[in-house]
Amino acid sequence: MLARALYPPKNHLIHHPTTPVGIETPVGIESIGASCRLILNASFWVRLCAGVIAVTLMPGCHTRSDGAAEITSSGLSGRLTVTGSSTLAPLVVEIAKRFEQLNPGVRIDVQTGGTGKGIADVRSGVADIGMASRPLKGNETDLNAYKIAADGVSLIVHESNPVQELTQRQVVGIYTGKIDNWLQCGGRDQSIQVVHKAEGRATLEVFLKHFQIDNPDVKADVIVGDNQHGIKTVAGAVGALGYVSIGTAEVEAATGTPIRLLPVGGIAATTAKVASGEFPMSRPLNLVTIDLANPLVRTFVEFCQSEEVHDQVVAQYFVPIKK
Amino acid sequence: MNSLTDRLVSLMIGSAAALVAAVLGWVLLDILYRGIGDLSWEFLAQPPEDAGRSGGIAPIIVSTMLILMVALIAAVPLSLSAAAALAQQRHRRFGWAWIASRCLDVLAAVPSVVFGLFGNAFFCVALGMGYSILAGGLTLACMILPILIHTTEHGLRAVPADYHYAAASLGLSRTTTFFRITLPAALPAIAAGLVLGIGRALAETAALIFTAGYVTRQPESLMGSGRSMSVHIFDMAMNVPAGDGRANATAALLVAMLLIINAAAMSLASKASAKLSGQTAEDMNSRQYV
Repeated sequence: MLARALYPPKNHLIHHPTTPVGIETPVGIESIGASCRLILNASFWVRLCAGVIAVTLMPGCHTRSDGAAEITSSGLSGRLTVTGSSTLAPLVVEIAKRFEQLNPGVRIDVQTGGTGKGIADVRSGVADIGMASRPLKGNETDLNAYKIAADGVSLIVHESNPVQELTQRQVVGIYTGKIDNWLQCGGRDQSIQVVHKAEGRATLEVFLKHFQIDNPDVKADVIVGDNQHGIKTVAGAVGALGYVSIGTAEVEAATGTPIRLLPVGGIAATTAKVASGEFPMSRPLNLVTIDLANPLVRTFVEFCQSEEVHDQVVAQYFVPIKK
Repeated sequence: MNSLTDRLVSLMIGSAAALVAAVLGWVLLDILYRGIGDLSWEFLAQPPEDAGRSGGIAPIIVSTMLILMVALIAAVPLSLSAAAALAQQRHRRFGWAWIASRCLDVLAAVPSVVFGLFGNAFFCVALGMGYSILAGGLTLACMILPILIHTTEHGLRAVPADYHYAAASLGLSRTTTFFRITLPAALPAIAAGLVLGIGRALAETAALIFTAGYVTRQPESLMGSGRSMSVHIFDMAMNVPAGDGRANATAALLVAMLLIINAAAMSLASKASAKLSGQTAEDMNSRQYV
């Protein structure tokens, strides 16, 4: 098909001009070179456009992702689109890769954009499965959440900060602008840079819920997007206080980034404490669907919850869920 | 007194130029220093593993090239035609050409994330392309159109009017004059615009994350989703713990690709322009001789 489009037969419907102009080449422009002539040759463009259209349209017949699945003799086949939390996306990419290896007829496209986008995309039907790094809210009861891992949120300070722990009142005071110097929390005479997450981030909601702060009350010095951004900001400012995912912070602290994780409610901020359920400021990592009517969606969600992927959950610094 | 001021001023502008060069040098050295450790043949030839922390970026390079190809195929003919139309209107002040070029100025100033949201709403959802290389490439095409049109238009306008008069006196049609005389003479400027457009397209992250998407698999067709190198750098640096090394290696590769593309386009353009100006000089000589 491609070859026919590129080299149409003589009586083909496409107008196939010979050398475009009937006038002799003007003096002085003769030796511009063959490449320029090729570019200026109209029949080259006709062929190129025909080829491009052919390439574009050929696969168009079977690729629109609507999650249609069918059981064939070789097992599952079809295509799934998964969108949502950027925290969860790297993990689901890895799980999807393993799932595709086990079910060669399946393609799973993982996109990102935040928990809010995941939920919106599932509702609008753009995605088959959403990724949400928080529990579903009261106005999201039309959806079902399936927990595939857990993640704790920890307060982080610069490594050189002598403060060992902050009380609930101190954290609330710092984030609402009532406390602005580490001296007031038993530290050095150093102003506090409050690092806060942007609206829509799941860690922000976990943090605000735990400390019972209303977001409009927060007086932030820096607004960051994701965990790495938050960690880099705190690592670069001696007086900063921020909050990020424990899994990420633990790895960064272990690989030499100058940050320290503060305990919450006297419990050390470690992935082990999140796994045991002791750590108070933690969040579930969920897959979200409208229903499990599609067998491909059901099989993939069950696979994500199974022990087969626990090694991958741990490899992405999250905490696996034991059933 | 005067010479002292002169020296001071020349010292100031000299150091400003040195500072600008130093910034470029610093960025390049920093990226190379941090990225060179992770660069290897495996990195170029293998798909990513473990969320990108190991393995390579082969499918991502392929996706990047496909997105760029779609963008250029869509944008270059369109911008060439638009620039030709605008350049024709060289003496009129207020007309459709004026309105069109003001519109292009505004389009050039639109932040790329806005193009991303537009591309997602229009190409992915309204036209039903989904997250795909085609949608990403077309979004990028919209984004680089103003740069391409502006540089091409300026290139076409810079062609001496004498060429047109000579062509007219020889009885050439306007179409022939455009394709055989004006366009070849403007090639260096068009190539420079192409370099700028390719640079902007390769660097683009915000417009692609919502259109071409995040999938690291080898793209099977233009309708499949594919992650570009810029999106990969962003994801490695921001979403993947301990992904910095790979982010820097990908950045080093991207910079190397940009430098190679720049050098190639510039040398092609200068060759074409050398040929052209050589001929003009000959013409001038013969005219003097007559």
